[in-house]
Amino acid sequence: MSYRDTIMNLRALFCAALICALVTVLPPSAAFAQEAAEPVCIQCHSQLPEKYSRPVTLWRGSIHAENGIYCNGCHGGDPKDAANAMNPTRGFLGAPKEIAIPAFCGRCHVGVMKDYLASAHGRMLGKGGPTCVTCHGNHLVEKALLGLINEKSCSRCHSFERARLIHDAMKETEAMIVAIDGRIGAFKKIGTDTDKLEKELFAVRNRFHTLFHNVDVELVKRESTQIQADLKKIQVVLDKLDDSHRKRRISGAAAVSFMLLIALALHLLRKTFD
Amino acid sequence: MSLIKKVVDWIDVRIGVREVVEKELTGYLLPRNINVWYSMGSILLFAFVLQVVTGMLLLIHYVPDADKAFKSVTFIMNDVPFGWLIRMCHAVGSNLMVVVLLFHMLSVLFMGSYKKPREMNWVTGFILLSMVQGISLTGYLLPWSQLSFWATTVATNSANAIPVVGPHLVEFLRGSPLVGPPTLGRFFALHVAVIPAGIAALIGAHLFFLKRTGVSTPPFGQKETANQWQGEVYSYEQHPGGIPFFPDFALEDLRSIAIFMAIFLAVVFFDPYLFFTKDSFIPANPFVTPAHIKPEWYFLANYQTLKIFPNELIGLSLQGAAMTFLALLPFIDRGPERHPLKRPLFLACAIGGLLLWIGLSVWGHLS
Repeated sequence: MSYRDTIMNLRALFCAALICALVTVLPPSAAFAQEAAEPVCIQCHSQLPEKYSRPVTLWRGSIHAENGIYCNGCHGGDPKDAANAMNPTRGFLGAPKEIAIPAFCGRCHVGVMKDYLASAHGRMLGKGGPTCVTCHGNHLVEKALLGLINEKSCSRCHSFERARLIHDAMKETEAMIVAIDGRIGAFKKIGTDTDKLEKELFAVRNRFHTLFHNVDVELVKRESTQIQADLKKIQVVLDKLDDSHRKRRISGAAAVSFMLLIALALHLLRKTFD
Repeated sequence: MSLIKKVVDWIDVRIGVREVVEKELTGYLLPRNINVWYSMGSILLFAFVLQVVTGMLLLIHYVPDADKAFKSVTFIMNDVPFGWLIRMCHAVGSNLMVVVLLFHMLSVLFMGSYKKPREMNWVTGFILLSMVQGISLTGYLLPWSQLSFWATTVATNSANAIPVVGPHLVEFLRGSPLVGPPTLGRFFALHVAVIPAGIAALIGAHLFFLKRTGVSTPPFGQKETANQWQGEVYSYEQHPGGIPFFPDFALEDLRSIAIFMAIFLAVVFFDPYLFFTKDSFIPANPFVTPAHIKPEWYFLANYQTLKIFPNELIGLSLQGAAMTFLALLPFIDRGPERHPLKRPLFLACAIGGLLLWIGLSVWGHLS
């Protein structure tokens, strides 16, 4: 075999090895172009006339969408099989009648349903009283915040006078919950273990939400004070986390400065050898 | 006679250590016009060691089990003393290693140091780049977060685009039809054993080739910038009158490493989340698909290329062709000239290619 042949063979060997290596490396790097598939309900309804696509549009802005609760979460059916997506044998329920709405939502929101049924609103179920969707919305389900108690919404059925008193009594607590929730969310986004804090806030928030359907102003005020005390305990833990992050940044500044000083010293030392 | 001298004498009479120091450090001469870009290799070596050390420390508490992986990473981040620091160093280090690796390759490219007789240096370096990408990809799955799970799902799924063997390859990569515990097992093995061993071996080969060919002279500030090697007999590129590696260039290397460390620590302490998304801290859930899954920044150009072409196989083939071209560059670009300004065609192609890569990456990020 001549020298030229040897070189040619070596080149071919290199090419083959490289192509094998590239085939191994490239597909994973390239594959990210795919995006997550949505349930067939959304895929199909999005293409239909407005009457049928509107629920999808509304749902996209809902708290359900934010938490990954898709159509089948409430309406049942098979979200992966277009042909049987609305087949009752696959658990499809469709839209509930008005009187059945609390039970429909209450499959997940068990405690809230209990509070609602015990409230003045719940006692009027089927007699012209509001259901869950009257205040919380239909498809565009809103997060249960105090803003839901507002003059425009409440005045549709009765005067806002008592509702305003309740609203004002709960305002400060609501603001604390929102602020704490935001702080926990921010810590969670950076890998802090917020499980315990989230559970504590969840319990406190649930207690707070039970007041939403209550019309006893004094009870609401008393409970709000107790809830605020519990929220302050969570704030203390969050303050400690903030402090720890502040200390980390100070240590970081010291470490970075130290490295820059070393770099400068090495640079000057190198100059002495010129 | 000091104690140190006694110890050195004791060793010297046994293994001739002074001769080694003279040959490999103080007598190892480098070109007088050597520049800071020649320190990139040393920074990379340092970064690799840093990755190995932090990786070993993470291994103490990490559990490669689908049910426990996320919890173990959360434990490291929150309960292990300085665990957050070790993990962030590992994560930030992997990203900065790619940055330095790209700088290293670009400097070699623009200074024409890949040209004969240094083809093997280039090829081993290119394979090292692929392996670093591979180790980053396999490491991505280990925290078993939403990002890990879904990024690996779509990444492995892409192999489906390969005709005939695609579906079998996907199952082989995953170890099961879907990403699951077997995938974590094999990715863990690849990440902590197979690929690091491969990288270490290739670094060895890369340094061996460097030692055998000698350090290339930068083409800047020289009258004659053409490659002098004729390709007939082996010859070591010597630099008579050059600067010694120790202490002169070793100090420059250390200074570059210190600057790298300052940047690295600034990212670790002030914005380590630069390389994380919120899905990185949510446990993997096969039933909840995040809306948009994007790869690490250095794969964004590949990601966008695939989105441009309607057929995934075309996108893959095009990328494969571009990568193969780059890998085989020393065998294609055989002209003797090394100065970038005396190679206008090369310069136009290199800058155009670089801008295209940056443009596609930015587009991928914003899309």
